[in-house]
Amino acid sequence: MSELINKIRQFFASQTIDLFIGYKKGRFGEGKPAFFTKPEQLKELVFDDKCIVNLAVYLRKPELKKFSKIGILANFGTLRALLQLAAENQIVDGQYLIFTVVDGKVLEFTNLKAIEEYVSKNLPKPNPERVALLKEIESKPREERWDWWTRELSSCIRCYACRAACPLCYCEQCLVECNQPQWVEVPPTGIGNLEWHIVRAMHLAGRCIGCGECEAACPMEIPIGLLTQKLNMTIISNFGQIPGTKLEPNYALSTFKVDDKENFIR
Amino acid sequence: MEYKLIKPEKIQDFVNALIANGKQVLAPKQKKDKVFFSLIRSFDEIAMDFIQTAFSAKSAVFPKCEELYSFEKNGKDTILNNPPAPQHDTVVFGMRPCDGAAFDYLATFFLKENPDYHFKMRYDKTILIGLTCPTGDEFCFCTSVGISPSDTRGSDLLLTKTENGYFVEIITEKGEKLVGQFSDFFEQTNTIDKTKYTANIQKRFDSSALKEKISGAFNWERWEETSLPCFGCGTCAFSCPTCTCFDIQDEANLVGGARYRIWDTCALGIFTKHASGHNPREKQSERWRNRILHKFLYTDEQFGTLSCVGCGRCIRNCPAELSIIEQVNAIMEG
Repeated sequence: MSELINKIRQFFASQTIDLFIGYKKGRFGEGKPAFFTKPEQLKELVFDDKCIVNLAVYLRKPELKKFSKIGILANFGTLRALLQLAAENQIVDGQYLIFTVVDGKVLEFTNLKAIEEYVSKNLPKPNPERVALLKEIESKPREERWDWWTRELSSCIRCYACRAACPLCYCEQCLVECNQPQWVEVPPTGIGNLEWHIVRAMHLAGRCIGCGECEAACPMEIPIGLLTQKLNMTIISNFGQIPGTKLEPNYALSTFKVDDKENFIR
Repeated sequence: MEYKLIKPEKIQDFVNALIANGKQVLAPKQKKDKVFFSLIRSFDEIAMDFIQTAFSAKSAVFPKCEELYSFEKNGKDTILNNPPAPQHDTVVFGMRPCDGAAFDYLATFFLKENPDYHFKMRYDKTILIGLTCPTGDEFCFCTSVGISPSDTRGSDLLLTKTENGYFVEIITEKGEKLVGQFSDFFEQTNTIDKTKYTANIQKRFDSSALKEKISGAFNWERWEETSLPCFGCGTCAFSCPTCTCFDIQDEANLVGGARYRIWDTCALGIFTKHASGHNPREKQSERWRNRILHKFLYTDEQFGTLSCVGCGRCIRNCPAELSIIEQVNAIMEG
């Protein structure tokens, strides 16, 4: 950790950065998001497996515009979110100084290509517990699945914390906030809740990097991450595309290719 | 004030009798890692051992979504219908005294001037049974906002668990009526010293000192810096027992529909955004400031009471771990 702190201190001293986004010790020993604007604050900087919040979510905050250069301490989910954001033209090479720490060693990414290489080499296997849970739900008859999701989603209060916590939900105006026409019922009941969660999952199909922040932020304990996870697994098995691993925009639901193998699209 | 006692073996029967009598009982119930107020069918479902529920029981009187009225076309006329009044009494069982104080605030907010028809309809049919806190945690700060962990404010009955059973304080007429109706479960008792059974909640800030400081805090230069970790999820406001902001939405087709009142939050970007496109609270820090000043300044000016009861939910639920206690102390430091 001291290696990283010294490095960041130097970047502050040389005025290379004026904001560093990282973690400090949270209430239960895990890492909580922290914004460092002065080198003396860095003594509080921590980084370990318990730093799970995806810091890429903050990059869209208008408050960050006043900083000239931002450094960011990225966990694996953040790195994948940064790649996906780059693929979608939301960030550009050189915009941020990006670091991670592996086995106590500081890794500074000189460009996004270096992140791409690092991520593809270290891509973890899907969490077996989650895969098993998905399998279990899939094995139920359709009516039972429908009832299960209807019941789970009935407690949704439409706070949109799932959207706020997602690093890939960066639309300035979300479609649920559009009322002419109104696409999705606003009151937090029945069909409107289903519509919202289906729309959210579809908009993230093939884009979700699986960081789990949506589900972690859900105050009602709804397992909403299962929806995006299921769609992602479908995309991966049918199109071989893994979101947040490539710099080129390459996702199934919004890429057009003249040599597409399907006839209907031509 | 009158006192009663519920023997330990009678508490279960009392709650089950409420249900058998046709009352809807809203009580703390475990769901995964959290405890939520839920409608229960039997006492067995209640989680009695909890520090604080994830959400308050405000939905009993201010639901996340309620119909204000429905409308339908009849030839050239439009017919408006009031929603049906609730058929049954609702008993909120086992809420913490801070939530009782929050109900008192909600009643002030909705009933003091121009009583709200829909709130009153529910509030009149709601009976509030509080439960003294035997323990607290580092996020509890009721004593900092003038509330005690065995406060009777806002509750109809307050139960305090003792070695002899539940000591009952009868606070309101509603409470008295309920005890009269279910008198089999209550026994005579003398008053007790509740302190022995009440959590010791540390004061985290001095609210009178804060009062002086916060009136000039609108232009405080650290709002932006202190709110940077907020990503605007709104969980603080949704889980807050005193947040009352709502949105009005119509759901209709060509023949009719209904107008709904639903929870809103100042954390969302479109909160108070004008039709012109102008947004008076464009940045998250400005919306965060609105929430803090609303709790500790605006309602004090409007109703003479703070609208924070120190329940600690906004701190426990915040995914970015922002703390209203730390925020208030930062304001005090200047």
